[in-house]
Amino acid sequence: MKLMNKVFAGLVATGVGLAATAAFAGDIRVGITMRMVSENGQAYGQMVMDEIKAINESGGINGNMIKATLMNDECKSDKGVANANKLIFQENIHLLIGSTCSSVSLPIVDVTAKAGVPQMIPHSTNSKITQKGSEWVFRIPVSGRYYGGVNAKYVGENIGTKIAYICAADAASVGDCANMEKQMRARFGVDPAYRADVQEKEVDFRSHMQKIKSMNVDGILVAALAETMARALIQSYEAGISEDVRRIGSSSASNAPVPKIAGDAAKGVFFTAAYAAADNRPIAKLFNEMTRKRYGIHAPDHDFSQAYDLVRIMEIALNNADLKLEQWSLANDRTAIRDAIASVEGYEGLASGPISFCAAPTPQCRDGNRTAVLIGYTKGGENFETEVLARVTMEPDFGLE
Amino acid sequence: MGFDFNSLLAFIIFGVTIGVVYGIVALGISLIYSGLDIVHFAHGEMYMFGAFFGLVLAHNVGVPYPVALIGAMILTAILGMAVERVFYRRLTRAGGGYTVAGMGMIICGFGMSVALVNAAYFFFGAEAEPFRANLDYIPRLTFPGDINVPESYVLTAIISVLLMTGLHYFLRHTKTGLAVRAVAHNKDIAYLMGINVPLMISLIFGLACGLAAAAGVLIGPMQSVQVEMGYLMLMKAFAAAVVGGFGSLPGAILGGIMVGIFENLGAAYISASHKDIYAFLLLILVLMFRPSGLFGVEAKVKA
Amino acid sequence: MVFLSRIADLIDALASRHRLLPWLIAYLMLLPLPFIMSTFFNSYLIDLANRSCLFILLAVGLNIVKGFCGQVTVGHIGLYAIGAVTSAVLSLEPGGFGGALGFGLPVWVSIPIAVLVTAFAGLIVGLPSVRLEGAYLALATLGLGESVRIFIAVTPALGSSTGLMMIPAPSIGSFVFDSFTSYYYLVMTAALVGIYFSFSILRSATGRAFQAIREDTIAASVNGINVIKYKLLAFVLSAIYAGLAGALFAHMPPGYLHHNNFTVIEMVTLLLMVVLGGIGNVWGGVIGAIVVTIAYDQTKDLVVYFMDRPIVIQPLVFGLSMVLLVLFMPRGIGGWFEGVLRNRRFIKRSEEKLGGTARNS
Repeated sequence: MKLMNKVFAGLVATGVGLAATAAFAGDIRVGITMRMVSENGQAYGQMVMDEIKAINESGGINGNMIKATLMNDECKSDKGVANANKLIFQENIHLLIGSTCSSVSLPIVDVTAKAGVPQMIPHSTNSKITQKGSEWVFRIPVSGRYYGGVNAKYVGENIGTKIAYICAADAASVGDCANMEKQMRARFGVDPAYRADVQEKEVDFRSHMQKIKSMNVDGILVAALAETMARALIQSYEAGISEDVRRIGSSSASNAPVPKIAGDAAKGVFFTAAYAAADNRPIAKLFNEMTRKRYGIHAPDHDFSQAYDLVRIMEIALNNADLKLEQWSLANDRTAIRDAIASVEGYEGLASGPISFCAAPTPQCRDGNRTAVLIGYTKGGENFETEVLARVTMEPDFGLE
Repeated sequence: MGFDFNSLLAFIIFGVTIGVVYGIVALGISLIYSGLDIVHFAHGEMYMFGAFFGLVLAHNVGVPYPVALIGAMILTAILGMAVERVFYRRLTRAGGGYTVAGMGMIICGFGMSVALVNAAYFFFGAEAEPFRANLDYIPRLTFPGDINVPESYVLTAIISVLLMTGLHYFLRHTKTGLAVRAVAHNKDIAYLMGINVPLMISLIFGLACGLAAAAGVLIGPMQSVQVEMGYLMLMKAFAAAVVGGFGSLPGAILGGIMVGIFENLGAAYISASHKDIYAFLLLILVLMFRPSGLFGVEAKVKA
Repeated sequence: MVFLSRIADLIDALASRHRLLPWLIAYLMLLPLPFIMSTFFNSYLIDLANRSCLFILLAVGLNIVKGFCGQVTVGHIGLYAIGAVTSAVLSLEPGGFGGALGFGLPVWVSIPIAVLVTAFAGLIVGLPSVRLEGAYLALATLGLGESVRIFIAVTPALGSSTGLMMIPAPSIGSFVFDSFTSYYYLVMTAALVGIYFSFSILRSATGRAFQAIREDTIAASVNGINVIKYKLLAFVLSAIYAGLAGALFAHMPPGYLHHNNFTVIEMVTLLLMVVLGGIGNVWGGVIGAIVVTIAYDQTKDLVVYFMDRPIVIQPLVFGLSMVLLVLFMPRGIGGWFEGVLRNRRFIKRSEEKLGGTARNS
């Protein structure tokens, strides 16, 4: 019986080994791990694959095709790490793209740093990701530490300093609340007038709204994931808090479910993000058109724009890197790609400002995108509309302790 | 410092308005338990499917909200009866859902829950959808102290009372209801008495799933509809059913109200970030010290 | 089938020389596995093996309270979480990177403490079992397990939503266990030891008491078995397994923990392993853990194209297979094997008694 078990395990291992795709010299292997089942997860994972296919169809990178493997990590760190391990050690990838959730990106940074594989982050805002000192990680989205500053400055100068905070317990929102609080204290010397730490998927904010109503605050900051934020916004109006009290969103306010679910309650809400669909630049308009046609998205949020910019930057880096693409040159190729990404400077794409990297393993070098956009909803509902209130490019040191 | 009675009233009202929704789902759970001796772990997904069916009927097909409510109840009842007939029936044939170490039904319920959630992802997508309902004919209430209760909450309270009285009337004063109660009491004797037991079992399950669907459609305008909404509702509804006592129908609604008030008070006065733990705490305490709940019949121990 | 019984005979022969001999041989045969894997295949398989061993520990432990003793517990993942978080918090440096609590203890100290803490937690999780059974107990344990997870999720000292990061790997002197291969020796040893003790428990008087309670609680107590003591003991023993598995999980490179590693989905996966392998069967936990881990890994990128959109169908298949398993194969693979072996032994014994008639197979 015991031997049977081992024979069984051995047979399975053989099967697994045989099934593992042999490393094909001559292809550039890119591994992607992201959360596939979420509001937009499927669509922008799809977009990344489509863009890579387009690169291949127009000749690839100097004649080499990109072989991309997409894996779902369900926003869970153990699955993300397993994906990264499988991509790095079994698929022998040259470049890793991942992940969407900060809680998955954080451990993967350690995995890629130890294995020596360049990693490009499509959408994680937790500031700690680039503070670990890894030489191999590059962040395309705007780091959370920038958002707090832009928000705080605008709020303090235009709205007031008496702000109520509603902070949900998910990784991004906790960071957003902390950053906002820090910046408000640094700039204006104020603390939150009210602070409620709620559960990640909280549905009932009425008791908080009731308390806030009696406090005469200037504004309410809601830091939560999209549908949770929408609920909070709706309930703030249901409780009877007047329109004069401005609602402020964290960066997840840029996700479509917020205006769609909140409807009229989204009107007047403003937030900082990395991209606004209301952007006037021709490249932005073309992009909006493309996502609408291809994926049925009414107005793409910064998840989309960042994924798109990532593919473009990847293309530039791969073209510039000196790649041998042989069995023996794996480590050299990975290093070459890393150095090529690090030398990207002044990339102008969908991001609202230039993206630049440099070689040092510091957050100043690895948070390439330093431009935050202040966006407001002018209309809610299915056909929501936004306007750009301000565009700010921050210093590389901003927000670090 | 004067105690803030106004806030306390607000929290109690909020607790009641959300608690009745827990109560409606708990009604279904209680019905299944007393009728079939099954604790249905996939009931949250029936609630979720009900909400989506209602959404599709109201938005895509375009029927008025009350029609969507009834339509969703019927569609979910059919779904539930199908699931019961195809999957659960084999397990419960032995009576009471007892298989290997008494866990068959529990594990089956969990597996069914995962399968249903993923089927829903397939059909409805992962995005949260708004549920806009035209409720202008319902009044909105304002309690003293400027406590607003929007229309959707008022409607929920009204419907829950209607459902409970309707169910009560059905069980106590109709022949079919009598048959249902007979089957719940003892299936073998009911069979010998000439009652079509399999049909009654399906009916019980269908009723329970219809109730869950009603809760889903009612919650839609209050919160929005999303595939993951089932799980957390399930835990609160279990707490409600346990507090009220399995097998007692008024107990389910009252249990729901108690859970709603308890968690709102806990969130307001102790800590809002631990809100879900309060419901679990109530569940565990009641299970440990008074398993039959407030109004329930003697605690059964079969799986 | 003849092959199987020959192997069974060989093992019996070895065991009659010394009780531990088959185990030692098994250990020796498993030692070179990482080298075989990395030389002929790739080193990712070692990581897969490591994760299988963790689940083996969990599943075998769960089998003690669920399979041997028949207590319905759906909160086991909470114990895993307690073991992991305790060991992590104890071994992190103070003033940690994420603002989490830390005590800076060496890993070899934090793991045993974590196991003890989890054992104590197992006692608490087991308390409801004194009064409740069946679905009521399932509800209570589910509530406890989820409460543990939520508590971790909202407590910054325990990582809250950023998680606990840079959890140190175990080290002896200057050798650090931070590669797949070095960690393999830790977890494989732990898993094998765990399986061995599970057998010891099963064959001891304690194990018989557990099974008596599973079959009929009232008859057991009438026969003088202290039901409460043994129920609690079952929970504590399985908690020890869970605590060890959790602690080993925490220190496994890259050393990161997040509360959503311990959700109901993970609990359901664990249940699937136990049911697939066979409840009540020691090897059931092992087989279930290995099969589910490998199946999960291989089907990860299985996509079905629906209207040009790739849909990941794995979770749906996973849920359905659980339902179908319970309906059609409730005793799992291990149960099936056991039935086959029992038939073989019955035939063999009857032939011996009747005096060697022709074997048929």
